Amino acid sequence: MYKRINLFIAVLFVLPAFQVIGQDWVVPAENSAIENPQEYTLKNVKLGKDLYMVNCKSCHGDPGKNNPLPLVPVPPDVVSDQMQSNSVGDLYYKMSIGKGAMPQFETTISEDNRWRIVNFIMNYNSNRKQLLEDKPPVKAQLLASINEDDGTVNVFAEYEDKGGDYSKLVDVPVIFSLKKTFGNLELGECITNENGRSDFIIPGSLIGNEEGFVTIVVSLGEDYEAKDVILENAKICMSKEVPKLIRQGVIWSTNDNLPMWLLLSYIGMVGGAWLAIGYVVFQIIKIRKYSKE
Amino acid sequence: MEKKTRRDFMKTLGVSIGATGVLTSSLLSSCNRVEAVSGDKIKVLTAGGQLVEVDISQLKPAEFPSLSENQERGRKGIPGKSWVMVIDLSKCRNARECMKACQDHHQLRPEQHHINVLQMQDAEHTAPYYMPKPCQHCDDPPCTKVCPVNATFKRDDGIVLIDNERCIGCRFCIAACPYSARVFNWFEPRDAEKYEGVTYNIEANVPQKKGTISKCLFSADLLREDKLPSCVSACPNGVYWFGDRNEDAVTNGTTKETVRFSELIKDNAAYTLMEELGTKPRVFYLPPKDRAFPFEGDAPDHHDA
Amino acid sequence: MNKIESPEESRKLLDKIFKDLTRSIVKKDELTRFWFFILLMFIGVGLWGWIIQVDRGLGVTGMRDYVSWGIYIANFVFFVAVSLIGFLLSSAMHLLKIDWVKPVSRVAEQIAIAAVGLAGIIIVMDMGRPDRLLNVFLHGRFASPIVWDLTVVTTYLTISVLLFYIPLIPDLALLRDRLGSQVPKWQLKVYSILSLGWKGNPKQFKTVYHAMRVLMILIIPVGLSIHTVTSWLFASTLRAGWDSTIFGPYFVAGAFVAGTAAVIIVMYVYRVRHGLKDYFEDKHFNQMGKLLVFVSLLYLYFNVNEFLVPGYKMKLAEGIHLSNLFAGDYAPMFWFAQIFGLFIPIILLLFKFFRKPLPITIISAFVLVSAWFKRYIIVIPTEEHPFLPIQNVPENFHHYAPTSIEIMIMLFSFFAAIFIISVLSKLFPVITIWEYAEEKGIDKKYLSETPKN
Repeated sequence: MYKRINLFIAVLFVLPAFQVIGQDWVVPAENSAIENPQEYTLKNVKLGKDLYMVNCKSCHGDPGKNNPLPLVPVPPDVVSDQMQSNSVGDLYYKMSIGKGAMPQFETTISEDNRWRIVNFIMNYNSNRKQLLEDKPPVKAQLLASINEDDGTVNVFAEYEDKGGDYSKLVDVPVIFSLKKTFGNLELGECITNENGRSDFIIPGSLIGNEEGFVTIVVSLGEDYEAKDVILENAKICMSKEVPKLIRQGVIWSTNDNLPMWLLLSYIGMVGGAWLAIGYVVFQIIKIRKYSKE
Repeated sequence: MEKKTRRDFMKTLGVSIGATGVLTSSLLSSCNRVEAVSGDKIKVLTAGGQLVEVDISQLKPAEFPSLSENQERGRKGIPGKSWVMVIDLSKCRNARECMKACQDHHQLRPEQHHINVLQMQDAEHTAPYYMPKPCQHCDDPPCTKVCPVNATFKRDDGIVLIDNERCIGCRFCIAACPYSARVFNWFEPRDAEKYEGVTYNIEANVPQKKGTISKCLFSADLLREDKLPSCVSACPNGVYWFGDRNEDAVTNGTTKETVRFSELIKDNAAYTLMEELGTKPRVFYLPPKDRAFPFEGDAPDHHDA
Repeated sequence: MNKIESPEESRKLLDKIFKDLTRSIVKKDELTRFWFFILLMFIGVGLWGWIIQVDRGLGVTGMRDYVSWGIYIANFVFFVAVSLIGFLLSSAMHLLKIDWVKPVSRVAEQIAIAAVGLAGIIIVMDMGRPDRLLNVFLHGRFASPIVWDLTVVTTYLTISVLLFYIPLIPDLALLRDRLGSQVPKWQLKVYSILSLGWKGNPKQFKTVYHAMRVLMILIIPVGLSIHTVTSWLFASTLRAGWDSTIFGPYFVAGAFVAGTAAVIIVMYVYRVRHGLKDYFEDKHFNQMGKLLVFVSLLYLYFNVNEFLVPGYKMKLAEGIHLSNLFAGDYAPMFWFAQIFGLFIPIILLLFKFFRKPLPITIISAFVLVSAWFKRYIIVIPTEEHPFLPIQNVPENFHHYAPTSIEIMIMLFSFFAAIFIISVLSKLFPVITIWEYAEEKGIDKKYLSETPKN
């Protein structure tokens, strides 16, 4: 009994200790010391950001916003000390081999791209110059109209400058997507010209709903705070016939769509048998009648 | 007396919550049970299975259809849609968040799985992997073929649904399903007393009933509100894509990224489970190549012989 | 047919036949009462088990999500199988004008009625929601094999009852006229009502023959359907071990084996218990033995097809299923059923000695038990091996073992079937008296004579 209590106490104390150790993710020294072969440039940081958004954001959240997925242990924010205390070699090693809920990205992201993500994380390191700055989004406005004849969307974008006046947005990407049930499907983007205008040619291969309608969403990148323009029920594409799933004559269907041959043979056979039974019952009645003769 | 009437009123109408509410409307939007506690407070059971207490003034009656209306629209399906699911096997870590979310949503006991993450190995020396397995929502469903009372049926939007108000519990559909996708309520369902008196929602199959069948239904109640199924949005690893085949788009439950369904399955050489059986599943699997997580399960005895 | 000329002789013989065949009806003894008490007790216990099951849910059984059909369904298949003998003996062989079968046909009909009735009851007991039975009629889906099954079970039951009843009418008149004070008043009243005021005039006999002929022809397609449709409950699925094209004839052949064995056992019981040595003669057992060999060989042929062909190919899922049967968990049961239910009986029954009443009855008992095991093997092992692995469920989901409640309900079904047979044999003669008398050369006109005493 005494021993068991001892053991119990040991477990009680050791377990949390193990958990702490478990959070300490030790990287082999030789891996830790590796330097980033990819240059720390704006281009690489930007590429790294795009990769981060697709592969990492779902768990680690937006940098600095402290919105990770509530996992155990919590995935650290990119700007946090826990993240930034890692050397570039540590970061590369950890994202490559993964641990627990952290995937092993060596199977899905190329070596160069993994180093680019490291560059993106380094963008928030206090020892480095921040190449990609998080500016507060600029207030902007977006106007869009659709030309159903030639299948283009005409856009005009303007932003609110420091004086509070609106002036045209030049050389800024405008994103075009299709509104789908659970999210927007990106079609492409185009850059505004010197007049703050841009024309987007809708791909001819686009397929709409049964009536040939699509809903197009026009938005500015996340650097700008602008209301998306939603062009509803634009008729700019081929209509698509929605296949009817429940059709006549499939055996798995409900009785309303039962195959006719099946129903007829069922009724025929059952009806025939019961008619014959009825005939026999009639004979029984006849036997009764005959006994009065 | 007054309490009782209000309770009944709430039960049939369901609730939604005002903008000033303590709880977000998403939490309450699909709840269908309320229970009076005291004068001003009211107990609400959300679709997620949480019991919460809110002020009565925050509640306003919402459209919640009666049983027969619910059954009728539940049989028709959501017009114009054709739901599909894509499961990326290379992303699954066996986190089982999908299983938990599903069991909470559909009032399932711990051993009842609408979706089950299986440890698979296709042949002796091939790599083992995790495979989440919901109902395949076949386009030629062997289960609805055999149902004697039309209790399970195929809808125009592709979902195979169950009406547990009609099911007689013959379990022929369990025998017929090659994917072992169906479960039976052998006992009183989980939290039966909590759900007592709740109007049956055919699209969530809640409340569950003893002696009837249940199975995955792509959270048809959530789809009606343009929300992703519970398993899809619960996944932390981006395993699930869900969407409408008619609009050729699927959305990832984790990253919310939307891509073309046709391209996704083409580019990744998607396959369906046991396509040789001719059941035409609506769940597509992306092969477990370049897996994001190492396999940590027991190397499964293939086929559990 | 040897014609007896003298009226005195005819009357005397008829009296003797009547007395012999109604002995079981008029007899009142402790053993009979005890027998019925035992039967009713088991029936009561079984029904109590069912009430528990309805109250607590099907979870009281050993069935779970993977093995979701257990011994209830095995039992159902067994009873449907046994019932099929009514069709073989009292119709097919009659139409083929095989005369020795005549005294046996009522036994076969008794068994058919009891078995098919119980098959219907077991299906209800297997349902998760027996309270919703009406849904099958309100919302019946014509494409479902269960609906087909329910249809044929009711049709077959009706035909079996009619086929039991119509040749009974002249007998009922005999009972009504001759039993007098030997049975209670209510019983006479029943005979009187059921005999439809039978006079025994030629027109009536003609109608009886005609109606029987219609039923005998009708029962052939219905009888074949009942077991074929039952086999389709399995064969219409995609599961390994059930996904077979020969399940229909395989089941029908197996049914003949089980039913023949059941009839032999009941014949022997009547022979010993009611002293009917001169009625269920050695020659009948001999012929039944030959019939059993014949149907067993037929069944063996289907067995070879059912197991050898997939065993030759060993497709993945099918292979797992078969190795489980041949050498796995179910091997003892499988080989018991094959060896004691098929191989050994076939060999033994080739010898005349083993076709004598007692040996053949013992063999039949083995055949019947094996037949039940065989149904168990058809239903359960397939479910234990679905295509996808069984994971993340408690241990008892992996393997099926019937619980005491299931065994109680199973015993209920057996005893209820025996009860029905016992009641039928207690109320009505076990051999058609008038047909038998005619066989012995007694003219029909003596039947309608009321004896002087």
